[in-house]
Amino acid sequence: MTLKHSIWEPVIGLEIHVQLNTKSKLFSRAPNRFGDEPNINIGVVCTGQPGSLPVLNKEAVRKAVQFGCAIDAEIARVSKFDRKSYFYPDSPRNFQITQYDQPIIRGGRVETLVEGEMKSFAIHHAHLEDDTGMLKHFTSFAGVDYNRAGVPLVEVVSEPCMHSAKEAAAYAMAIKSIMEYIGASDCNMEEGSLRVDCNISVRKRGEGTLRNKIEIKNMNSFHNMEMAIESEIARQIAIYEKDDSVQLTKGTYRFDLEKKETVLMRMKEEADDYRYFPEPDLVPLVLTHEYIEHIRNTLPELPTQRLKRYVEELGLSDYAAGLLINDKPLCDYFEEGLNFCKNARNLCNWITVEFVGRLKEKGLTPMSAGIPARHVAKLVELIEQGTITGKIAKLVADDMVADVERDPLQIVQANPDYQPVSDLSAIEALVDEVLKENPQSIADFKSGKTKAYAFLVGQVMKLCKGKADPALVNKILTEKLQ
Amino acid sequence: MAHELTEEEIDKLSHLCRIACSAEEKAKLKANLSKILNYVDQLRQVDTKDVPPCNSVLEELKSVMRDDEPGDILPREVFLANAPAHVGGMIRVPPVIKF
Amino acid sequence: MYKCSAHQLRERFVKGDVSAKEIVHKTYDRIEQKGDEVGAFLALLKERAHKQADKLDRMRQEGKPLGKLAGVPIAIKDNIHVEGELTTCASKFLKNYRAPFSATAIKLLEQEGAIIIGKTNLDEFAMGSSTEYSAFHQTKNPWDLTCTPGGSSGGSAAAVAARFVPLALGSETGGSVRQPASLCGIVGFKPTYGRVSRFGLVAFGSSLDQISPFGTSVNDVALTMGIIAHPCENDSTSIPKAPDDYLALLKAPFKGCKIGVPWNFIADLGGEAKENFLASIETLKSLDCKIVDVDLEILKTSIAVYYVLATAEASTNLARFDGIRYGVRSSKAKTLDEVYDFSKQEGFGPEVKNRILLGTYVLSAGYQDAYYRQAQKVRTLIIRRFTEAFKHCSAIAMPVSPFPAFPLGSIHDPLQMYLQDIYTIAANLAGLPAISVPSGFNKDGKPWGLQLLGPQLHDGDVLKIAHAFEEATQFTHQLPPLFG
Repeated sequence: MTLKHSIWEPVIGLEIHVQLNTKSKLFSRAPNRFGDEPNINIGVVCTGQPGSLPVLNKEAVRKAVQFGCAIDAEIARVSKFDRKSYFYPDSPRNFQITQYDQPIIRGGRVETLVEGEMKSFAIHHAHLEDDTGMLKHFTSFAGVDYNRAGVPLVEVVSEPCMHSAKEAAAYAMAIKSIMEYIGASDCNMEEGSLRVDCNISVRKRGEGTLRNKIEIKNMNSFHNMEMAIESEIARQIAIYEKDDSVQLTKGTYRFDLEKKETVLMRMKEEADDYRYFPEPDLVPLVLTHEYIEHIRNTLPELPTQRLKRYVEELGLSDYAAGLLINDKPLCDYFEEGLNFCKNARNLCNWITVEFVGRLKEKGLTPMSAGIPARHVAKLVELIEQGTITGKIAKLVADDMVADVERDPLQIVQANPDYQPVSDLSAIEALVDEVLKENPQSIADFKSGKTKAYAFLVGQVMKLCKGKADPALVNKILTEKLQ
Repeated sequence: MAHELTEEEIDKLSHLCRIACSAEEKAKLKANLSKILNYVDQLRQVDTKDVPPCNSVLEELKSVMRDDEPGDILPREVFLANAPAHVGGMIRVPPVIKF
Repeated sequence: MYKCSAHQLRERFVKGDVSAKEIVHKTYDRIEQKGDEVGAFLALLKERAHKQADKLDRMRQEGKPLGKLAGVPIAIKDNIHVEGELTTCASKFLKNYRAPFSATAIKLLEQEGAIIIGKTNLDEFAMGSSTEYSAFHQTKNPWDLTCTPGGSSGGSAAAVAARFVPLALGSETGGSVRQPASLCGIVGFKPTYGRVSRFGLVAFGSSLDQISPFGTSVNDVALTMGIIAHPCENDSTSIPKAPDDYLALLKAPFKGCKIGVPWNFIADLGGEAKENFLASIETLKSLDCKIVDVDLEILKTSIAVYYVLATAEASTNLARFDGIRYGVRSSKAKTLDEVYDFSKQEGFGPEVKNRILLGTYVLSAGYQDAYYRQAQKVRTLIIRRFTEAFKHCSAIAMPVSPFPAFPLGSIHDPLQMYLQDIYTIAANLAGLPAISVPSGFNKDGKPWGLQLLGPQLHDGDVLKIAHAFEEATQFTHQLPPLFG
């Protein structure tokens, strides 16, 4: 649905929780690991044992500052932590340690392409806080696992500056990308290391104030998030179109995948009284100018920088570059391959189309399949050098997928059918035979039909099962046709 | 300035701290808290204009942090030994409304 | 043996005059004979004590180096963790809670050869001034068994006063070691905030709490401080510097100093309490101290400030006691809400509930500015006034308590109970080192204490002045008649 010219303007803000991939938790030394048996990665702090005290993880601070620098935010020289009180079994102390009014990161922005157009989105602030444990629901009871309790989170709060589901998705992907590129998080939505909550309201275009908003939680993919936002916008517009004066009841919604619509989880009866106050077990965090600048100056290449490099220096198309940038593991694989191969465009094509394509059915990626990037690069080089034709290369690729560790050069050398025919006399013989069999094509060519030329080349390649060096075939055929 | 808490306020407070109270307990709490708040109200007379709140008694202690090295694991058996109820390695609680 | 100081006992053990095994046996014998009269202990850690004693005896036989408190029995307030043993905080909620780790202070003491004899009684969760709020039993004052020993560290104070042990650890949030020390005629010392690690101390008022030692002499307290006053990597509010050499400071002769007295603040002091305080001042003068007047009128607000800040912090510190991960879960509870509501209703005593609700109130929306923030600002003022006062003196002298030990069950009004701490609370608010040293007896033979406070990190100076006072008065050499 396009709302560009509609009288209705959606106003969307996102709160993104990103789990940092530190080795230990934010205030507890317990290991920060996903997927283990319940209550294995716990300590006295993250299980709220009486007498335990929080101690801040310096690596979590460093990653947060890195993120702040990457989004051009102001890094607070002085920030502090606060207690946020509420009762829930997954909370080890029944208060969370978060940053309420003096967060470590203030302001900031991300720039990203939205349907071909470059847009900038403003961030209000980002802060550090500790994650909760996990509640597992069974019919007659629930189980609590504190492995996740205390894991460091950076919560990124945007300004309510997005006006469509596509903008929201693009913004969220940009935040994810930055976190991946600075190596701060695994950003895995299925595993929960990246969680997005949306706040959505709708108003008439030009209306000065914001109308009531609702919150959507627990969307587990960007695709579902887009659908959820779209459906919620439609729902709100429908309500206002019936009665424009309606005050939307604030509440928390989730997205029902089957019904494909947002469903109410709970109403917000009154504002939760979290009774925030400064955490007395921690001291203020004071960062020096040198510390912040050092982090800013040693940032790794960021997504927008890499995109620029791919398009301007490597000559990749916007589309191909975008594809790689948004898939960091694949992009890193490509970067690895670049060390062994000069033709970036071809390498990109072979990775993103040929190999990804072949492995998709198996549910694998080139990385997870275990095909070394340098092998793919080598394959491309073999084509560049003329050692094999593109056609043969496809067969070699099949072989590489079937036996992931094999070196393409060895594959070629081991298979006589892959050996390129570069023997001039052999090629000549092939060309002669084709010319003999296709007098009509010769006549067509001579009368200016260039398609006939391609046909003849094709026939030669067919005869030699694609093994002949295309350059040589062209050379000889051209000579013979004179 | 007398400060008399209402029953409603006591109810709200006991809900905020999740402590159930019998009628008798509520009455006692209401009386005690009102008395103490009355006493504490004297603080309003103190001139604190331009005085910053004391967030930390140790003014010079800042930026206390530790290295990112895992350790000090609490063994699960020790953790669960204090648990009122546990199942499958998890703390067991009554069913919770799932969101 | 029970008349020995910790120092003397260690000497005798190290020399071989007495074995650690004997020390432990004699200690438990005395407790068995006279312990029930006082009710100081909640638990006796016999197995642990015997194990430590055996280890010490072996080490001595093998000629290995022995720690500074080798062979010395010590009692621990039951809100400080000893790994594997119960930490009940004198609450029904934690009656079956086993500590998963030892407090840093405990580790340090055991490393130096101290023998942990048992856990002592306290007001539930350290909230009280008489130990009467313990959910388990009452502790009596060894000087007068019809009276309270003070609180909240009443059990530890009584254990030392009755000479069951020469040393004990208590904890302070608002005078909970100095006040019982004064009422029990022994020495009680609260370090500068952050001087002793809080790791392993069950938190009540996080910005106020400090583990604090009791002893029968200032020397013994200084010895203990030298062991426990170290930086701790598990406590972010732990002072990163190593402690001064307190014992060395005590050895050097005392040459007098300027001592400030806040006459305007203590103007209401009357009767015998006043007499005793004035006598103490005379003693200080005789030690070449010059007495100066300091303005600490603002301390009249200390109780109000304390009961806003400490309860606010406590309301969140005690939120974790919910019957979910540990503690007693109500058997009536069927739903999750009931687990919280009933476990807390059944597990907490009335005073604890008072304070949790009060703390919740002063933090709640609409009230936080008027109460919590205002109290934090007045706290700043208190700190500033002290800083100003210390420009004119090295230490401040005050009474500890306006009353001597009071009869069990004589105070029913919580507010009246709070007012017991009027002189002691300010040191917690400002994080200052402060001591109560015995300063005499009233006509009924009940002890008085003199309070000395110093600037932050001047723990050694406070100990030094107290030591000189103690030497000059010898009150600490008097034992309670029933336990002498």
